[in-house]
Amino acid sequence: MFESIVLWLAAVLTAPFFSAVILKVKAFFGGKKGPPLLINYYTLIKLVSKGSVYSTSTTAVFKMGPVISCATALAALLFLPIAGHIPVISFNGDVILVLYLLGLGRFFTIAAAMDTASPFEGMGAAREAFFPIICEAAMFMILIFFYRMTGELSFAAYFSGTGTLALWQIAGPSLLFIVIAFFIILVTETSRVPVDDPATHLELTMIHEVMVLDHSGPDFALIELGAFCKLFFYAAILSGLILPFESGIAGMGMLLFVAGLFIVYLVVGIIESIIARYRMDKVPQFVLTSFALAFFATIITLELIQ
Amino acid sequence: MSHFFAAICLILAGGAISLVFARHNLFSRAAAAILISAGCVWGLVDAVIKLTGSVIHSAAFQYLNLFFLAFEMDGLSAFFLAVIFLICLLAAVYSFHYMDDPDSSVKNAVNGFFFSLLVISMALVVTAANMITFMLSWEIMSLSSFFLVIHNYQQKENQKAGYLYFVFSHVGAMFLFAGFGVLYTYTGSFGFTDVHTLPAAAKTLAFVLFFIGFGSKAGVFPFHVWLPHAHPAAPSHISAVMSGVMIKTGIYGILRMYALLEMPAPGFGYLVLAAGVVSGILGVVYALGQTDIKRLLAYSSVENIGIILIGMGIGMIGVSSHNPLMAVLGFSGAIFHVLNHAMFKSLLFMGAGMVVHQTGTRSMDALGGLLKSMKITGFAFIIGSLAICGLPPFNGFAGEFFIYMGGFKGISLDKIPFAVSIAAIVSLAVIGGLALACFTRVVGIVFQGEPRTEAARSRTETGPTMLGAMGVLAGICIVVGVFPGWFFNLVLSAVSALNLGYERIPQAPFAQIAGHITLGALVIVVLVLVVAVLRLLFYRSKPVSRSGTWGCGFTRPTVKMQYTGSSYAFDIIQFFRPAAPLEENHVPIAGRFPAGTSYDSRVHDIAERYMEPAVVRPVQFVFDRLRWIQHGDIHLYIGYILLAIVLLLFFI
Repeated sequence: MFESIVLWLAAVLTAPFFSAVILKVKAFFGGKKGPPLLINYYTLIKLVSKGSVYSTSTTAVFKMGPVISCATALAALLFLPIAGHIPVISFNGDVILVLYLLGLGRFFTIAAAMDTASPFEGMGAAREAFFPIICEAAMFMILIFFYRMTGELSFAAYFSGTGTLALWQIAGPSLLFIVIAFFIILVTETSRVPVDDPATHLELTMIHEVMVLDHSGPDFALIELGAFCKLFFYAAILSGLILPFESGIAGMGMLLFVAGLFIVYLVVGIIESIIARYRMDKVPQFVLTSFALAFFATIITLELIQ
Repeated sequence: MSHFFAAICLILAGGAISLVFARHNLFSRAAAAILISAGCVWGLVDAVIKLTGSVIHSAAFQYLNLFFLAFEMDGLSAFFLAVIFLICLLAAVYSFHYMDDPDSSVKNAVNGFFFSLLVISMALVVTAANMITFMLSWEIMSLSSFFLVIHNYQQKENQKAGYLYFVFSHVGAMFLFAGFGVLYTYTGSFGFTDVHTLPAAAKTLAFVLFFIGFGSKAGVFPFHVWLPHAHPAAPSHISAVMSGVMIKTGIYGILRMYALLEMPAPGFGYLVLAAGVVSGILGVVYALGQTDIKRLLAYSSVENIGIILIGMGIGMIGVSSHNPLMAVLGFSGAIFHVLNHAMFKSLLFMGAGMVVHQTGTRSMDALGGLLKSMKITGFAFIIGSLAICGLPPFNGFAGEFFIYMGGFKGISLDKIPFAVSIAAIVSLAVIGGLALACFTRVVGIVFQGEPRTEAARSRTETGPTMLGAMGVLAGICIVVGVFPGWFFNLVLSAVSALNLGYERIPQAPFAQIAGHITLGALVIVVLVLVVAVLRLLFYRSKPVSRSGTWGCGFTRPTVKMQYTGSSYAFDIIQFFRPAAPLEENHVPIAGRFPAGTSYDSRVHDIAERYMEPAVVRPVQFVFDRLRWIQHGDIHLYIGYILLAIVLLLFFI
């Protein structure tokens, strides 16, 4: 238990660091030196030491938005096995709870955006409400796959101990599909290219960034921290999926987990560097691909386990 | 059952006194509110005690050998009674200030009377133990709610809504009569006891007839057409009762008939589940397309009926594939959702009622920024929205969690049950996402941002009983969401009355699941509190100022530039185009000095659209041809009756 809590704290504290890896990769592709790897910590400290300006249109919901979106991201990490260790909390069905907790965070992010009466934030909110619907369907399809394979409904059953390795042995090919499907979900849920461009400068083309335009100071720091944790959450799942080897050597699991994380963040960075954002009306098709992949993966397993 | 009848009499007395003293506005309203709510409290306490006791109570009355009225209260009846009395209690309390209109005091008294009749008839429907009692109560329920729907009968729109409701409820009742006819043919009695002895084919026929009949009351797609017209037309506390409770009598009917027929054929499960998936997804898509806040809530009821049917379908598949855990999880999730939906939907209708009462408009795009001046209503509405989206730590999540657990049990099955379970789970997920889009839209457009028209500018909230009723409902939504355990035990005693063929349902595994929900809810509550405290620490002695919203460089923003409800939903509606055709009327802008232009859009309900050419016109055509039978000559009419009797004698 103690170990799990330490790991959870470590995940929360290192999440900003890993996000900076993406910036480094993008700078490398742009032929630039890029910001230091600790840039996100500097940003968070800078934001926390500032005050805030609130719009006269806003209500208490605007202030609740950052708190709840950050808290839900932190809560999601509580249920996640980190480096194969047992998570802080785990029970049968926790996956469903976590998905709905992230939904709770989304509700308040959208509500906070709608609170400002800004047409741009309304536009971002409408997109934030739309795309995750398909993501959620894909996510549950992936869950169905995992349930079919393991008969369990908890992250601990999928990603702790030798669970994942066993999965690769039974259904390797379909798990490849799942990895790709999951990557698409990661990209969509955490607002990365090609669904959303966190570095764009035109409000009309933004999703997540435009929704938080009016947040400032510590409120914005909470939103940023929440976003880092959410990205870490998805990346950690992917890391557990792609590098599941269990060697028995102390520390080896942690090393592999961190290596996996680096791979995921590197790939995200590389994709952001080499392709452009999709047109908004193409995004649903892109996200639907993930559902289709997960669906095929499940269908393939029907043959495999019989 | 004496407590039950005493409660009923008290409620009836409330309605009658309100009608007798119709001229004394205050006294009439107070009598109705106090007596009806007192009766509801009595009935509620009695029902909950019966639920925890799990003994079947019954009573019978006979009148001149004609009417044999029989009542029976088992776990299922007691559970629905508890839901009915709880919501009607709060609706009665709410009505005291909502109906505060001295100019139409007689109309309000009539409303109070029919409201009491509606409460009684719903209570009698769920306790009826033979066909006569059932249909009698059912008809009183349909008629009393019809009179409540046409409360504002001067408006053309409401007359149409009332007419539509009248036709649909009677066509539905016709299917029920046909279904009961099938039962009577084989059992030869009006009682329900021998129904399980029917041959399989008759059972299927009866179940399909009942499903259509009860489905049209419950608002199952495509029999839901009346619902989005009738529910918004009624006064808001009546909408709350109709959407929250009355449509659930349809669900009760389907459950009761399933239990009585004792037929574990898989086909029933597939039928119910498929209807649930379609109602669930299309209901929420149409809800997204609405601009009238009460119509939106009515469509959202179609969606929630869909969720309940998905749960029931999972339960039935669990029974047919001999998976007791899946069966109990599915049925209990569905019945739990009946309770939860009753709570948050009536809360939302009451909130919408307050908005309509104070601003005088139901159009969402005319509203905005109400949260600043209506704090209690606004936050109660937000809690209701969170609950209806099925988000933890609110009650909607607890119900859906059980349905999900049941659905995942079906994943380990094979062939059709497996495929159907996939459909159930994925559509539940999609419904959840769409509901989130739908209700962030309502909250965002109506309560947040800036007022879009004068109608919404600085409107305050009034009426302590209205605020009180909403506050209580919001509180219960949170309590059930965090501690579902005790409530779930009540659900389990309702499930055990379903006659699923399991000796005793053990409580331990379900208590464990409920415990997990509590754990998850507490985790998020604690984390939110921790982060909130952190935020307070960060803001200590920091400069905080207020200014206009950042307009992205635009210096002259107006409230008209805000995103509207239609633009918010546009992309999602486009995605569901085949099922939800979007009609746009737009005068193009042309020339150097363009004339004034306008834009309006509406989302069509395909069931409503195709009802006209596919059902109404053929029926009209046939009856037009038969018009010569109706000639107004009484002698011949008597001849018809004689002829009909003689013909019938041949068959008996």
